[in-house]
Amino acid sequence: MKKNLVICLLVLMAGSMVFAGGSSESDAKEESSSKVELNFWSWRTEDVDIYNELIDIFEAKNPGIEVNFTAYKNTEYNTILSAAIKGGSGPDIIHLRTYGSLETLAKPGYLMPLEDKVPELSGFGETVLLGATSASDGEIYGVPFASQTLVIYYNKAIYAELGLEVPETWDEFLDNLDAVKAAGYTGLANGGKDGWTLEILQGVICPNFYGANDFFNEVVAGDTDFTDDRYRGSLEKLLELRPYMPDNFMGIAYTDMQMLFINEMAAHFIGGSWEAGYFGKENTALDFDVFAGPVAKKGDTRYVSSFADSSFGMSADTQNSKEATAFLRFMASTEAGQFLTDKLTMKSDAPGVVFSDPFLGRVGDLNENNTPYIMLVGFRYDKPTGSELLQSLLQGMMADSINSTEVVSQVQEGVSSWYKPFQD
Amino acid sequence: MKNQVNKTFWILFFILPGLLIVTIFIIAPLFMSMFNSMYSWVSIDRDRWVGFENFVKIFTKYPYQDRFFNAIGNNVQWFMTTMFVQNTIGLLFGYLLFKRIYGSEIFQRVFFIPVLFSVVAVGFLWGLYLNPNMGVVNRLLNDMGLGQWAMAWLGDEKLATPSIIAVNIWRWVGFPTLVFYAGFNSVPMETVEAAYIDGVGEWRLFWKIMFPLIMPAVTIITVLTLIGSLNVFEQVYTMAGLDGGPFYSTDTLGTLFYRTAFGGIDTGLPEIGIGSAIGVVIYVLTFGISAFSIVALRKREVEL
Amino acid sequence: MIGDLRFRNSGIIGKALIVIFLILMIGYSILVLFPLFNMIISSFKTTREIFKAPYALPEIWKFSNYMEVWNKGGFGGYFFNSIIITSLSIAVVLLFGSMAAFGIARYRYRLSNLVYLIFLAGIMLPLKAAIIPLFLLIRGIGLMNTRLALMLIFTAMSMPATVFILAGFMRTIPGSLEDAARIDGSNDLGIYWRIIMPLTTPSIALVTIYNAVPIWNDFFFPLVFIQSDKLKPLPLGMSVFFGQYQISWHLLFASLSVAILPMLILYLFMSKYFIRGMTAGAIK
Repeated sequence: MKKNLVICLLVLMAGSMVFAGGSSESDAKEESSSKVELNFWSWRTEDVDIYNELIDIFEAKNPGIEVNFTAYKNTEYNTILSAAIKGGSGPDIIHLRTYGSLETLAKPGYLMPLEDKVPELSGFGETVLLGATSASDGEIYGVPFASQTLVIYYNKAIYAELGLEVPETWDEFLDNLDAVKAAGYTGLANGGKDGWTLEILQGVICPNFYGANDFFNEVVAGDTDFTDDRYRGSLEKLLELRPYMPDNFMGIAYTDMQMLFINEMAAHFIGGSWEAGYFGKENTALDFDVFAGPVAKKGDTRYVSSFADSSFGMSADTQNSKEATAFLRFMASTEAGQFLTDKLTMKSDAPGVVFSDPFLGRVGDLNENNTPYIMLVGFRYDKPTGSELLQSLLQGMMADSINSTEVVSQVQEGVSSWYKPFQD
Repeated sequence: MKNQVNKTFWILFFILPGLLIVTIFIIAPLFMSMFNSMYSWVSIDRDRWVGFENFVKIFTKYPYQDRFFNAIGNNVQWFMTTMFVQNTIGLLFGYLLFKRIYGSEIFQRVFFIPVLFSVVAVGFLWGLYLNPNMGVVNRLLNDMGLGQWAMAWLGDEKLATPSIIAVNIWRWVGFPTLVFYAGFNSVPMETVEAAYIDGVGEWRLFWKIMFPLIMPAVTIITVLTLIGSLNVFEQVYTMAGLDGGPFYSTDTLGTLFYRTAFGGIDTGLPEIGIGSAIGVVIYVLTFGISAFSIVALRKREVEL
Repeated sequence: MIGDLRFRNSGIIGKALIVIFLILMIGYSILVLFPLFNMIISSFKTTREIFKAPYALPEIWKFSNYMEVWNKGGFGGYFFNSIIITSLSIAVVLLFGSMAAFGIARYRYRLSNLVYLIFLAGIMLPLKAAIIPLFLLIRGIGLMNTRLALMLIFTAMSMPATVFILAGFMRTIPGSLEDAARIDGSNDLGIYWRIIMPLTTPSIALVTIYNAVPIWNDFFFPLVFIQSDKLKPLPLGMSVFFGQYQISWHLLFASLSVAILPMLILYLFMSKYFIRGMTAGAIK
């Protein structure tokens, strides 16, 4: 029996070596040229072609370096990345999530601090760098990619048809929604099945009711908390939008929302600035524009929530730090930023980028009064994150299972379990 | 003496290859994750030994406690519904096929087709059909004048889990059907014929003779349903997302585990220690309950 | 045959029941075939059309969807990889699994329950849960980025349920057959191969399909363990269609329709053996 066991194991090992040898042999053949290969991972499967074009530009300037861009499915990206980095086979260049999610890799030291290596970083705005800075040690770990802004999209054709104007106040907005609904359209494409779309809804509508930056700064410092009436009251505004949402809106998922707006069945879509590219691509005849979340009364400053979308970082264990640095410096350049802005219709944060697309121009204007997208920026540093709590609780609120007081008290309880300023 | 050695050799010969693979690739990682659950973690790095602290957290601290018991409740719902709906229908269909009902040749081929779809495909397709406004289910209800029954199937807290369970039953009912069909067919013909000749009625024939004789099949199906209900993950993930929406009503131990251990898509952060602890609880529960059922059901198996 | 459900054999209640049951079964069959046809039809539409007119026939039959899907980076290669990985995994699972089931079901010894439970422990472990230790293990034995790693994992994943089901069926085979064979001088291997295996053909067919489908459709393990594009199996190749915010539904449906074909073929093939095994079992 022991003999059989040994033979079995030997066969297994020999077999595995044959196969393992097989794949590394062919890899060796590819690497016979003396190029340095960098692996660049991301979750943006939509943008693979664009990134490859950008990489071609980089490779033309840097003939000894080859960059392999691989995009993984968004929902699995974090897991794959963690498993690979822990196992020592992570990528050299990493597309990083921002704020709290950055900590997952930054805190245990898996990322390379970039301040010294990439001097171009000093040209980026401070708020923009915040998304790529680790809260635990204050180091910058990523070259910011783009900022996203949360807005209200509207269908210009429907507005023209019904003679509507861009609303400024909340009441004007509701009046428009009434008119649209009376004409047989759906007022608002938004639904509740995907909790994160409700968080975005909150991000667009609520800041103008809870006091935008004033409230944000107070809450982050611990001088007030989420049970503050300002915040709670702002959530109640969301309830007023329910009559204008599609029938059975709790069953409407993100894709349904997009399709309702794209197919011109809904007049408004509350979402992020990243939608524009998709809307335009899917329905080239769609005439749309954006406005910011409405204010309580005329004359109030009108804020939009914004946040840093992602950044490009470098693995601390990379074998090719010189080449990786070269690539990151390229990504921080105006040229790269301009390229990505033009091709992806995203608002790159690189200094010197010009927004020729009118849509981006408008978003830029709206951003003159911006406020941090509260949960993403301030409260994703530990679990349970403010975002995950808010998403599910808002679902409960919109479905009338719980009220706004319940929502804020549970958010508060969850976040204060790890958020130090709340614990004094 | 030689017979004993001979027998041992043969036993080992047959079970060793499979046992080896399962031990290396399943049992070993299982123990590793139990090991992981006894530590606290700094994001993805192991920190210090904390013994059972993670387990205590699951059962007592907000929000873990709420989510955990909520999820278990849903798993129980999965098991009960699947057991009573899916397996009863499977038993019925299996028996009808055995009785060569008209068209059984075609039915037995068609019934298993849903199993061939990937879970992702099933999730999408049924997600579309259950869409509250465009879905075929609600459209049919409206056309038939039953408009008030047209709800937000996947969006309503009370209906979401039953809807997903229904889809899962749609997918899997062919399996117990065929297993029971095979089971009934392995009952020797003489027994069945003898019963008919003796004038035993259909009802008694089924309950007193056929059913007891397929106990091994019943055991298989019951235990697999049990394990499946405790581990269900992908079906819920594709139809309701990782967060068990809406408002945790579809959350199961599987999604809770995945979300805790690996973090939500971009909202959550991985908590490997607590996640592993939840995983361990899942294993222990599944193992314990399955072992118990197997022993209990094995006793009822009748050998001819 | 005696006991068959026929109208002429039944009284009024019997006839009514037969009709009800038939309605149930036909209803379920419609419920089964409709999504299949719907998926195939949707694969010829544009993304917008899929949502705008989900149940109508496509306005224009976009065969280009299939061309696009095939061209997006070596779909043919992905297909080939899936076939290799799935068929080899199934072959190994059937061999080792039936052997193990035989070793558990046909011998009486003290540890048989323990061995059985070890295999069962495998069913209960959601292998995804142990992904990080598994990852380190695979890397440790040098099998990262190989198809062999996937095969081993899939085999391990499928083994417990296979053993469970096959052992269950093997137990129902009367001991008398085995005794007769021994008297005739057959050794254990012969008993396994010539007596027990042929009699469990229906369950083997069942287990083959039961295991082949999740292996064929799995995308999580290939995602973690395969980095080279040329080794990717089909589901991984398809995951490219899922963007963070945008999903190419038309391409997805096209690729899902392509992906289900081998499983359908395998199934139709297996169902023949399943049936054959059924009738063989009846005449014992």
